[in-house]
Amino acid sequence: MTRRKDNDPTINTLSASDHDQLFKLVKRGVNRRDFMRYMMAAGATAAASGTLFGGMSSAWAATPKMGGQLIMASDQHGPNDTLDPALFTSAIDYFRGRMFYGSLTRLTSDLGYEPELAEEVISNEDATEWVFKIRKGVEFHDGKTLTADDVLYTMNRHMGENSVSKAASLVSMIDKWEKVNDYEVVAKLSSPNADLPIALGTFHFKIIQDGQTDFTSTIGTGPYRVKEFKPGVRVVGTRFDNYWGEGGYLDELVSYGIGDPVARLNAFLAGDIDGMVNLPPKAISQVEAAEGKEIWSLKSGAYINITPRLDMSVSNNVHMYKAMQYLMDRQRLVKGVYKGEGSLGNDQPINSAYFDYCADIPQRELDPEKAKFHFEKSGLGSTAIPVVAAEVAPGAIDQCLFMQREGKKIGMNFDVKTVTTDGYWGSVWLKEPICVASWNMRPTANIMMTLAFKGDAAWNETRWKNDKFDQTLVDVRGVTDPAKRSQMYCDLQTMIHEENGMSIPCHRNYVDAVASHVQGRTEVPLNNFGGAESPVTLWRADT
Amino acid sequence: MFSLILKRLGVGLITVLAVSMIIFAGTKILPGDAAQIRLGQQATEANVAAMRERLGLDKPFIVQYANWLTNFAKGDLGVSLSSDVPITSLIGDRYKNTLFVSSLTALIGVPISLMLGIMAAMFPGSLYDRILTFVSVSLVAAPEFFTATLLVLLFVFALGIGNAVVVGSTENKGLFELIAHFALPITTLCFVIASQLIRMSRAAVLNVMSSPYIEMAVLKGIPRKRIIFRHALLNAIGPIVNVVALNLAYLVTGVIVVEVYFGYPGLATLIVQGVQTRDFVLIQGLGMIFCLTYVVLMLIADIAAYASNPRLRHPK
Repeated sequence: MTRRKDNDPTINTLSASDHDQLFKLVKRGVNRRDFMRYMMAAGATAAASGTLFGGMSSAWAATPKMGGQLIMASDQHGPNDTLDPALFTSAIDYFRGRMFYGSLTRLTSDLGYEPELAEEVISNEDATEWVFKIRKGVEFHDGKTLTADDVLYTMNRHMGENSVSKAASLVSMIDKWEKVNDYEVVAKLSSPNADLPIALGTFHFKIIQDGQTDFTSTIGTGPYRVKEFKPGVRVVGTRFDNYWGEGGYLDELVSYGIGDPVARLNAFLAGDIDGMVNLPPKAISQVEAAEGKEIWSLKSGAYINITPRLDMSVSNNVHMYKAMQYLMDRQRLVKGVYKGEGSLGNDQPINSAYFDYCADIPQRELDPEKAKFHFEKSGLGSTAIPVVAAEVAPGAIDQCLFMQREGKKIGMNFDVKTVTTDGYWGSVWLKEPICVASWNMRPTANIMMTLAFKGDAAWNETRWKNDKFDQTLVDVRGVTDPAKRSQMYCDLQTMIHEENGMSIPCHRNYVDAVASHVQGRTEVPLNNFGGAESPVTLWRADT
Repeated sequence: MFSLILKRLGVGLITVLAVSMIIFAGTKILPGDAAQIRLGQQATEANVAAMRERLGLDKPFIVQYANWLTNFAKGDLGVSLSSDVPITSLIGDRYKNTLFVSSLTALIGVPISLMLGIMAAMFPGSLYDRILTFVSVSLVAAPEFFTATLLVLLFVFALGIGNAVVVGSTENKGLFELIAHFALPITTLCFVIASQLIRMSRAAVLNVMSSPYIEMAVLKGIPRKRIIFRHALLNAIGPIVNVVALNLAYLVTGVIVVEVYFGYPGLATLIVQGVQTRDFVLIQGLGMIFCLTYVVLMLIADIAAYASNPRLRHPK
């Protein structure tokens, strides 16, 4: 299904006028969906259009310069910082992973994929068997050549009951990995998964060397090699001269953690560091006004939410959660709290940053009339409704306070209790009848919904269970017909929007800040610093 | 003298034991199960049970405590729950980092503060004394993050000198770079300890100055400078050393705000990270190290006090 047609256009075979035309489209900021629509109307396949879009976007950026050093600061870090890709948990881990390792596929800004260590990815008709042809001549930092054994060893660490992998669920449909020859492996699946190569392009599936068990330092195939790794302190990578691909332009790339947002901002504004993650919304205007500093914002599907447990007596009232959803002042959250660096949420997790977004569901807005209707039906009266909130992301507490304020106007009595973020995930989240959470974006709608909305998911926050939803979610993975697929995804999103009970008032952008000389920024909307894909392409313009 | 030190040592040991019990019990009360944390969210019941057994968490509380304490005495602080790395290796570098900052602060801050304090005692009630009192009382009242913010605002943003955070640690830095990175955190810390040291040394000296033998010295016509340095100071050393030791212990254990504010990887940030990741083993180990630091420094202070004051050595 990912095979290309012989006469598919590539960036090299385009006529000059076509090239200009497409270039203009990209430069104008056209998104992937529109671009693909334009191209496919002209007869190209989806695969070729996607690649072409990527090519056009990168041609637009300037030519990288070699040399120099960049210091990029993340937030959360600590003794659990690791070099073991299977155990990655935080943005700083993901960034570090990209410095030192490569993966079979690489995610693109439109959340498609392009070949990386696999030079070709081929599936059978129903997406139950995937062949990965491994790129020849890829060298590890110690000079060893990458072969199928390394890939098998890496992949098998994510398999089986006793896997310690944090991402085992993404590949749980794989029965086994087999070696075909030194440069070819095949994954045999127990159920279809058309999105497998996208999952394998995510943070945890970085390829390590066959037999590696010690991760105090590491040998990868990435553009930088480990010079220093101190958990909770910092990591320094130096350029790997024999890197097989384009990238690794800096002499030295330093990844650093500064937990305190004020300290991070100070360091950034003072020029001690070149980039920082998670700019507090209040500081956006300050950075915009500063000379030589820029915002690096990515529109994403990350969201904050309020989750009533449907299996607890306090919170299993349908009319109560409907009222909550109508009490949400979404516009004000996006404008006031996020300073515009976010987008309206529609009480379901998939927004337009995802490929499978369904635009047909009407936007739910603040509607005191409807809220009042449901509140009266709920029979709650003046009973206090307990909500536990912590500032797990900007706006997480504000969303509750906004709801509380609007609720007061119609006589609905929310008792919002704020607690510290420290220990929140262990002792409050998934335990209290109504609490808040913050979610990162996942590469596909299916992964997102499987992780947090499927009836049997460990992270199913409201404990909503709908057999039709669960079945559709599994079935759609094997559907390759675009029209049918998009209809099924619309059904799924509508079901969550109507029945799940969760309030998702807004999606938040990943808002980072960098100095203007930090170039080669990627735009994969899955995490900070361009989806943690930027270590490969970052370069310094003022050297 | 010797028996006094032994007695003091015994008291120190009892303190350490008592604190160890509090630390151990405290970390047990915190919500969260160590085996569960170690294995992560997706672990099965059986895996958690097996891990509990491996970590010895299935044993009675008192046995767990005894095991932990004996291991600690042998220098084995256990393995971090969040990263599988021995605690000692996590602490190693950071202990050096913290010692670097605290010893530099002590080297700069202590002599200056003592000088200022004693000078204030020389001219009590003078304009100099009143200004110094005013400034040091204001400094006591200002929390570290406030002082740090003011310093960063003034030096980094208004004057454009120095660094707002310590990037990296002491390694690979020339003298000039070291000064640029460490000037602000060390100045902040100096302010913090200075206020208390100035007030205490002034009070201690003035206290001695009001005793009869000093009055005698005054009547004999000895100059004030000579009275203070030859007669008064020696008797004031005891309390002063105690305050210095308390402040040194504070510098090792309590600089959390300054380390976090300047992004410096020392012991204090490590314990913050330990609490955030619910790494009980790490918290226990660090708690004990902090406790030991306190006890040892106070012991040294007491011995110094005994040595300087014969009356303490020979109580009535």
